Amino acid sequence: MIEFRDVGYVHENGVKALDGITMKIDAGETVAIVGENGAGKTTLIKHVTGLLKPTSGTVLVDGVDTRETSTAALSRKIGVAFQNPDHQLFSESVKEEMAFALRNFGFVPDLVEQRVTWGLQLFGLDEYRESSPLVLSGGEKKRLTLACILAWDPAVVMLDEPTVGQDAIQKEKLGGTIKMLGSAGKTVVVVSHDIEFLWPLQPRVVVMKSGRIVADGPAPELMTKKEMLESARVAEPQLVSFYQALTHRPGSPFVDALEARQWIEGGRK
Amino acid sequence: MMWLSSGFIFRKGTSWYHRLDPRVKLLISALMFVTALIVRSVFQLVIVLAFMVVVAAVASVLKRVARTMVLTATFSAFIFIINLVFTRNLGTSALYASRFVAIVVSTSLFFITTSPDELEQVMKTFRLPRDVVFAFVTAVRFIPVMMLDALQIMDAQKSRGLELEKGNLLRRVRNMIPILIPLVVNAVVRSGELAEAMESRAYGAVPRPTSLVEYRFRITDKLVTVATVLTFVFATYSFYFLLPTLPP
Repeated sequence: MIEFRDVGYVHENGVKALDGITMKIDAGETVAIVGENGAGKTTLIKHVTGLLKPTSGTVLVDGVDTRETSTAALSRKIGVAFQNPDHQLFSESVKEEMAFALRNFGFVPDLVEQRVTWGLQLFGLDEYRESSPLVLSGGEKKRLTLACILAWDPAVVMLDEPTVGQDAIQKEKLGGTIKMLGSAGKTVVVVSHDIEFLWPLQPRVVVMKSGRIVADGPAPELMTKKEMLESARVAEPQLVSFYQALTHRPGSPFVDALEARQWIEGGRK
Repeated sequence: MMWLSSGFIFRKGTSWYHRLDPRVKLLISALMFVTALIVRSVFQLVIVLAFMVVVAAVASVLKRVARTMVLTATFSAFIFIINLVFTRNLGTSALYASRFVAIVVSTSLFFITTSPDELEQVMKTFRLPRDVVFAFVTAVRFIPVMMLDALQIMDAQKSRGLELEKGNLLRRVRNMIPILIPLVVNAVVRSGELAEAMESRAYGAVPRPTSLVEYRFRITDKLVTVATVLTFVFATYSFYFLLPTLPP
């Protein structure tokens, strides 16, 4: 579905943002991209939509080189919700804001109305249908941007820091939505610092540092590698710390945190 | 946007020119600006532009100034065509067009070598009201931030299927609405937040706040000031009494 082949990207000022990225994301996968600030996470997802073109290597989406197609064509398949919702809201009403992309993609009016209603209900925004998106709270704006993306039903959903400004209940709902998208066969890529939010999703985790991928694997395996996570300035989930603590107890029957987790979640040893 | 970034946004430099007192840099740019206005032929203007290029080389900003000149040439070509249509005089049209380039470069040389802090000091020496100085300097300081905002907004809207380069002129102008509204709203919100943050840090608490940096004229600044004034007087004299008969 999405393939990076030895991708490098150097900014105009000479700063190397990506270096030797080789990775494949299959259809239906849920992938979390984590890493310190400035690690290149957002730059990486901008390459998928063709907003940035690699200075070396190739990015393929469904076998098509992103250099040879437009962002508009790619965005029909790939929906990206960027970090700051204030960077996209402009319409007179929440309803119009949601309809913007649908009209750009040529949806018929009936379908636009249907998708708008579906999205607003999904994210609990139906009561603001006729309100200006600019008067919504930070969390509501964030949810609206997610609803806008899901409205056109892209095959790939990319979320850049989706939990910023969300309260605990909304985070839980968002986690549920991501799981639902995964079950519906969507490819979901989440860029986040919020490890506690990512842990229950049990995604494939890609750890980035200084524009490079330093680890790539399933969450239960990677999230227990404390030293590697710390080198990329990523904190381990609290549950993993708990499992680690169990292994350090005198006479502990567990070899490592992974075994402790299996025992607790399975209820046996 | 690239024109603005290349020509008017300060970036730190270590050249001898960067270290000059900002008032001296203002004097140099102002006199180059005035000279560009008073010249009477393209030949004289070429001499002024050559002088600007030398100043840019001394300030180690030649590449940026060259890029500004190239990007300004687009507007300059427009001025040339309009003048040629109405005056039907090649020399006058070329003079006006190249004068525009010279004016932009002289202004650009000041802004790309003078930090917003230095700019604030310069404005204070003219005893301008503090609020005016603060508003102007803040506006200058926020240009790069707004440019970054504009790029991020464009990315967000393109990801929702907006095609900025598509359609006729009217359609392209309409396509800018989803970019301009968030940009303006963000700027207004940011200015409100900045005002609150400044007030919570005692802005306006005393009529004459102290300054962390006090600029003093060094010997180099004095020498450069004298040399600049003498060069200006000599150039003006030459353009009016020694060179006026040269080709336009």
